[in-house]
Amino acid sequence: MTDYHLVIDGATAEESWTYLDDEAPLSDAPSIISLSRLKDEADTLAEHSAPLGVILRADGLGKTDLGEDVRELAPFIDRLALIAIHFPAYRNGRGYSAARVLREEFNFTGQLRATGDVLYDQWAMMNRCGINAFELAADIDLATFQTALGELSGAYQPAADQNRGALWARGK
Amino acid sequence: MYRYDEFDHKLVADRVNQFRGQVARRVSGALSEDQFKPLRLMNGVYLQLHAYMLRVAIPYGTLRSEQMRMLAHIARKYDRGYGHFTTRQNIQYNWPALDKIPDLLDELASVEMHAIQTSGNCIRNVTSDQYAGAIEGETEDPRIVSEIIRQWSTFHPEFTYLPRKFKIAVTAHKHDRAAIKLHDIGIVVKQNDAGEIGYEVHVGGGQGRTPFVAKKMTDFVPKAKLLAYLEAVMRVYNMLGRRDNSYKARIKILVHETGEEEMRRVVEEEFAKIDASNMLTVPQEEIDRISAYFAPPAFDSAPAESATFAQAQADNADFARFVRANVVAHKQDGYAIVNISLKPIGGVPGDATDAQMDVIADLAERYSHDEVRVTHEQNLVLPHVKLDDVKTVYDTLATHDLATANLGLISDQIACPGLDYCNLANARSIPLAQEISERFADLDRQYDIGELKIKISGCINACGHHHVGHIGILGVDKKGTEFYQISLGGAADENAAIGQITGRAFTEEDIVDAIETLVTTYTDLRADGERFIDTYNRVGMAPFKERLYD
Repeated sequence: MTDYHLVIDGATAEESWTYLDDEAPLSDAPSIISLSRLKDEADTLAEHSAPLGVILRADGLGKTDLGEDVRELAPFIDRLALIAIHFPAYRNGRGYSAARVLREEFNFTGQLRATGDVLYDQWAMMNRCGINAFELAADIDLATFQTALGELSGAYQPAADQNRGALWARGK
Repeated sequence: MYRYDEFDHKLVADRVNQFRGQVARRVSGALSEDQFKPLRLMNGVYLQLHAYMLRVAIPYGTLRSEQMRMLAHIARKYDRGYGHFTTRQNIQYNWPALDKIPDLLDELASVEMHAIQTSGNCIRNVTSDQYAGAIEGETEDPRIVSEIIRQWSTFHPEFTYLPRKFKIAVTAHKHDRAAIKLHDIGIVVKQNDAGEIGYEVHVGGGQGRTPFVAKKMTDFVPKAKLLAYLEAVMRVYNMLGRRDNSYKARIKILVHETGEEEMRRVVEEEFAKIDASNMLTVPQEEIDRISAYFAPPAFDSAPAESATFAQAQADNADFARFVRANVVAHKQDGYAIVNISLKPIGGVPGDATDAQMDVIADLAERYSHDEVRVTHEQNLVLPHVKLDDVKTVYDTLATHDLATANLGLISDQIACPGLDYCNLANARSIPLAQEISERFADLDRQYDIGELKIKISGCINACGHHHVGHIGILGVDKKGTEFYQISLGGAADENAAIGQITGRAFTEEDIVDAIETLVTTYTDLRADGERFIDTYNRVGMAPFKERLYD
């Protein structure tokens, strides 16, 4: 049982993943591990058959540390079924770039999840950057989420979603 | 100028409804003030010393007369009968009630205006040259690319929660009137040797407590690649910019700490990745569609000289002085660019009343092809006035205290709102600007002094651009007393420079005398034809310092 309401691709979903501490042994269940573990245990993980996810952390890494670098995931993309991007504060938008790099540069097609301080007024922007899974506060219902996503009816610019952007779509 | 299509209208309307919902959630308590803050900021709403303040965008400084009339109407209906034009081609209202702001925004939207991204840690209102489309010698109208940037940057999903605010300015002229080198990104529209139009891009300029002149990141980005290049700069900044300390979070700090060469390398690398998809190449048809809105108005053919205009100057000395200071040559024979100073002697720099705004709207409609411009020096412009009409325009301006003939002179100062409005300020700016203006009220003396840019900030955040004033004045607070520190030699044009501090600060009682000392030092030392800044650049700080502190 989780303390959040998981929404994937616009629908309520059961949590099938577990965040694993670095010390916890891997099981056959889908697990989300740290970037450092992903790098340190690369050889062992190559043999491991269960679905694997990673969390890109954004804090607790030193005072002026920016957070983990999405491009360190490059060698592991094919092995990953889920990438969780941690938003330490709703005002910290660094993870939006990470999401677009994953979708557009690495062509990552698995689950891209927002975790952390993820609030109503950020969901639509995150969605446009390619995030398709959200850990919402437990009391937020699906209708509220869908309302938030639909507040702006269009976009001017392309991003990681299907919306090409008015600058490109006009006259087409 | 640009007109909204259905899409633009719908998106602005959506935004107002969205903000109406956010205000309702704030009022109900569903949003904490902390959670509401970035949302209201991105809609231009600040909490100031006494009340909420709303900042409305005037993209690249261009207004139609119906828009100017709306600004007047809003000043009357939602404020106390005036508005304040800012250094970034915005207008600020100091007294709107929060719960009325969504209605106000609805009214603005009805004339294709908004307050979107005029604040917050996002890409702000794009600014440009107030003489765009009117001055001789432009590569092309800089508002074309400005409008493309406005659209691209509006609600950009990746760049809405940046480390800090982000400002872009564009010029297409060798004389920079948009202070592009003091912006996070400054763009010069230029032509390469092959005759193609593209962009020189400067990155990392800014003022605040750590001022920097922007570094030239690239000499030439081809027209089709500009958005890819901008997105590369923005992504590098969003990923590498510091978030641990808001005073070190602007891109100027990243450029400084990374080093110009390394920054260029990282940006080029990112640019190559983003450009590979070709996703950000704007279709030519769309560029053409937007360009068409900025086609020159239907000018009448007229001789370069106007006997009416010449005679009016001969007959009226005040008008002749107005022409000398405020009227600039137009690229079209028979036309002139008419500047309207919002710096009357003893007035508040940048303020205009609702009645004044209505008068200017009427003049624009009748005499300036329906256009008004807003300048970063907090003045207004009627960009396309027939020489034969300049006197008539002047007469109307004069009856509304709008004909002060001081453009670029010592009383044409930039000043931030200061301690009279702002909760960040250490000192008052407006009363000081008023005192200086009154001390040098004599126009003949102002003409003798010539071009002299005084810029006043009430605190280190530098909203009054003191770093780039020929004479900069910074308000500091020492044990509860207001002091003013002077810097010299700053410039915001194509020769952008950060001023040097003269030495210890002056009290409120002494600061105007100190300015007078600087002016007389200059007039004593100047060679023929030298402006204050030229003399300073030739003789340096020492003689000024000596006279100030002897």
